Amino acid sequence: MTNTLPSRKLKAGLGAKTHLGNLCFLLPTILLFSIVVLIPVIQGIPYSFTSWKSIVSTNHPYNGLANYKYLLGNKYFRMSLKVTFSFTLQYMFLSMLFGFGLALLIHKASSFNNVCRTIFFLPFTTSVTAGAIIWSYVYTDIYGTLTGLVSPLGLPNQIVPAMALMASWRDMGYAMLIFIAALQTVPKDYYEAATVEGANVWQQFIYITIPNIVPAFTTNVTLLLAWGLRTFDLPSVVAQNMQEGQTTAMYIYQSIFANNKASLGQAAAIILTIILIVLTQIVTRALRRLEVEA
Amino acid sequence: MEEKLHVYNPNTKTHRRKVRNERIRKLFVCLCVVVVLAPFYVAILYAFKPATEITSNRLAFTKNPTLENFRRVIFENPLFGIGLRNSLINTIPCVLILMACTSMAAWVLARFDHLRAYKILYAVLTLGLLVPFQCFVLPLYLNWYNAGLVSTNIGFIIARAGLQISISLTAITGFVKTVPRELEQAASIDGCNRFQLFWKIVFPLMTPINTTQLVLNTLFIWNDYSTAIILLREKESKTLTLAQIQYFNGKTTELNEAFAFFILAMIPILALYLSCQRYIISGITAGAVKG
Repeated sequence: MTNTLPSRKLKAGLGAKTHLGNLCFLLPTILLFSIVVLIPVIQGIPYSFTSWKSIVSTNHPYNGLANYKYLLGNKYFRMSLKVTFSFTLQYMFLSMLFGFGLALLIHKASSFNNVCRTIFFLPFTTSVTAGAIIWSYVYTDIYGTLTGLVSPLGLPNQIVPAMALMASWRDMGYAMLIFIAALQTVPKDYYEAATVEGANVWQQFIYITIPNIVPAFTTNVTLLLAWGLRTFDLPSVVAQNMQEGQTTAMYIYQSIFANNKASLGQAAAIILTIILIVLTQIVTRALRRLEVEA
Repeated sequence: MEEKLHVYNPNTKTHRRKVRNERIRKLFVCLCVVVVLAPFYVAILYAFKPATEITSNRLAFTKNPTLENFRRVIFENPLFGIGLRNSLINTIPCVLILMACTSMAAWVLARFDHLRAYKILYAVLTLGLLVPFQCFVLPLYLNWYNAGLVSTNIGFIIARAGLQISISLTAITGFVKTVPRELEQAASIDGCNRFQLFWKIVFPLMTPINTTQLVLNTLFIWNDYSTAIILLREKESKTLTLAQIQYFNGKTTELNEAFAFFILAMIPILALYLSCQRYIISGITAGAVKG
């Protein structure tokens, strides 16, 4: 027992110096992150318990949970949540479907497939705003000419699926690359063994491919869930004048910067954050359990 | 004889089927390519159309292609020059600052990930993946306003770098964990101090992931709209992506010009993507497997 004491002391001494050195490496990142994210997040919490109106006023009296109570009963806020959920679900489904489908088609290494991968990722390099305007003409010119119907962006009951399609056009390439990476890790001899055993292509897909790429589903679901729930730029371009297409992120922006309801917007933002964190935890836990079983 | 031949070539039928399936696959993939590229076609169609043909020729390429729209954007729209300048001034320092900060932090966080303090720090620094920008946009704007950073390049650079830390740090830390420690140990025995060790040995080893992050961060920051619309309020501070919204509610007579603008704004990023696409694809896939 007395023997371990000096060596432990030595370790601790060395450790302190090492940790001080580490701090030098970490400091720029910690500072930048604190100034931009961490401190504002903490500052924002008390704002949501006040009746702060315009952001230029310095008068913000405490009013308890009034903002939260108001929001839970507010028609427009609830509608924005509904739009956000329905958009996120459709956007996730379409992005994963297209991403997974394309990945299955071109996951093998060949020059043809490499060119296709580059092309399928191309939409991701465009800005959401330019993409949104271009798509509004895709809906009037291509879709409209081919079907003779009006653009879904002009119809209250079709605007959410129309936006989900635009968003998944842009982001499916990202999902595809994640699926391709996972498909390439599945050992080839699994398939060879299954072929020898007489399993057909469909059986191989269900019993070998799917269980081996569950981690890719986890990554994609968490990523797309976070991207979908905070969607702001796309609806602010195409759904500016349509309540049926306004997401919670837009409701927050408008409350703070346009409608002089700063603290109300802040409370709405905190509700959105809590929803995002809780949903992400639930989904990740469920998928991780599948990974363990697989 | 015939039967013998059959025995010698048992795979002819399956082989033929394989060739046929491969053809169907390629045909289907090509069809997908056409659908995915269709929106780009629409943009190009409008950008090269003379203003007189705006309502005609909806799907066919114009017979009188013109560069007039591009000329007008470059020489007659002051927002294009302003936007291009600001986009370059904002994006380049931002991605370089991010690379320096996050690669240093990621190295330490990956090498000491067995200690609880570092685990907690990593969890905090990657909180940005979960907390949406809207949650702290109001305090951030007020702090920036009070510090005189709204509508400045430096203000945007700091904010955008801070917002990108979480996603970059996750990818780089994941990568560093796959780099063996032996080289570092050898160098530290040779008497390198930790800064020399990092910049001479570790940093060069991180080139693949740093290149990927450089390209991906450029994409995210160049195309950023949500942050820019809040922090860049003055006309003189607008980026190319933000300048595009002048066409949102624009008159339809400016439509051709709008599409020429989009294409011009896309060119730098497209050039970067096509020359570095190899890194993007390997980088996303590398980060993805590790989660």
